[in-house]
Amino acid sequence: MPPTVDALTARTTEALDAIALVAAPLDDEWQYVADLVAAWGARLTAVGTERRAEVVTPPIEAAVDRAIEEALLVADPHRAIDWLSTLPQVVLVALEERS
Amino acid sequence: MRFQDAALDARAVVYAGIQADPLVAEVAAMLADANPAQRVLARAVMNGESTDPDAWRTMFPTLFADGADPSVRERSESILAVSLRVADRGEAVRSQFRGAIVESVTERLLARRAGPSVRRERRILFDGVRSEIHPYDVTIESAIPEAYDCKWGARGINPEVLLQLATARANAAAEGVDLAVALVVFDAHRSCLVRLARLRGAAGVTGLVALETLRGLARARPVPIPGVAGTRP
Repeated sequence: MPPTVDALTARTTEALDAIALVAAPLDDEWQYVADLVAAWGARLTAVGTERRAEVVTPPIEAAVDRAIEEALLVADPHRAIDWLSTLPQVVLVALEERS
Repeated sequence: MRFQDAALDARAVVYAGIQADPLVAEVAAMLADANPAQRVLARAVMNGESTDPDAWRTMFPTLFADGADPSVRERSESILAVSLRVADRGEAVRSQFRGAIVESVTERLLARRAGPSVRRERRILFDGVRSEIHPYDVTIESAIPEAYDCKWGARGINPEVLLQLATARANAAAEGVDLAVALVVFDAHRSCLVRLARLRGAAGVTGLVALETLRGLARARPVPIPGVAGTRP
């Protein structure tokens, strides 16, 4: 069964938690990392809630999964912070939502 | 109040070489007319690991799918290609390229509104005030001047840059000049607000131009950020 929007936004928020762990060694930025995860998690959850029952097309699912895969390739903590902001933007573009 | 060229120390000379690289101008020219989704594409590719263009086409179906507007698709392909060329330069070099690209895009967009009064790497001097060491990335040197600091990501926003911008605005006001100061950040407005929420010195003083609102530089002076968390431009 094809996934719904809320399933994709949930996958993305899980990925943000994983990326935050990569960024964790940057002690000076822990608050910013936590704030980014919270802010983008809230935005994604809001989109998922509003479009909960909406089934997505295979290209959109592929887009989100490939974006998550790309973000999880990053091993450098500094670049992980970049992806905490970039990944949600890519996913929201795929879902045709504003950042 | 007056503007002055920045001193050319060794670091500035190296960076000037990057700023003058034709690839910087090529990317900036494309991004100046890109739509918000295309700017996200460029940001992702220049932050990314993958060098396979098909991977990026998969991530952006609204730009590359068969049903996408042909003109949008064509420009997206061009943006993808130049972004991959930047990414291909390696991490150390590309981080410098990314900063130079934001500055160049800013310069181009401002020039549409202010023409030849747009300058790069300039210091601002005030009567009786010790001059700042760091130049402003882009300035508009007219009767109603503007000064910009450019960042690739919201993480680059820091207390020092906010203080420098706010101080310049205050010093200009003391001389009766309405100097607009702003950050241009090639990152989401939301991430910028997250960063600014825990920093002092921006609200009511400094403008914010984020990835979504970049093209607004060509239309009007940025207005100071009225608040912090939850504020939209």
